[in-house]
Amino acid sequence: MSFREKTHWAAFLALAFAFGWYFLAYPWAMVSTDAGVAAVAGMLVPVTIIIVAVMAATATFFAIRAPKEANLKEDERERSIHIRGTHLAYYPLVLGAWINMIAIFYRFSPGVYLNLLMATVVIAELVRVGSQLYYYRRGY
Amino acid sequence: MAQLPFTNDIRMLRFLMFEMTQGDLGDRVGVTRQTIAAIEQGKYSPSLEVAFRIAHVFNKPLEEVFRWQKDID
Repeated sequence: MSFREKTHWAAFLALAFAFGWYFLAYPWAMVSTDAGVAAVAGMLVPVTIIIVAVMAATATFFAIRAPKEANLKEDERERSIHIRGTHLAYYPLVLGAWINMIAIFYRFSPGVYLNLLMATVVIAELVRVGSQLYYYRRGY
Repeated sequence: MAQLPFTNDIRMLRFLMFEMTQGDLGDRVGVTRQTIAAIEQGKYSPSLEVAFRIAHVFNKPLEEVFRWQKDID
């Protein structure tokens, strides 16, 4: 497994666990209140710290174990995998944007839009990293 | 995964070249060991440039490293 594939696994798991916790622990009963908006900001702090810490620790650990591989530039296969993953993530991103635009007509609270936007970005990111992992494993 | 319309003899050529490793070949071609492994296994279709670079390492013409499969149009 290459250095980049390992860091992709770390990113995927960190995203899934951190935002999984966020969406399960978020106080949905108060989503329409000002406290609901504040909760989004407050909960994003530990989520961001968890993701950044896991990514940094994983990258450092694997870079120390295989420094030569960590310093290698992306080759054409890896670039191609990244392009495909980003392309696939475009679809959930656009779908989420449309859902958000339609939701505006229903006059939800800012907390709902914030969470909807965040879910859109998280799903798109999971699709991007997940599909890249799939292509790393399966080839194409 | 669709099967690539060509095969290659990279594994055998590496063996004949003093058992060169995938990593060594990757270093000389400018790609990762995993990419060489993917090419060998027919999981990745390399660019023309990388294909030529691989053939150049073995000092062979391209068609002696990569071969079009006869049963595919």
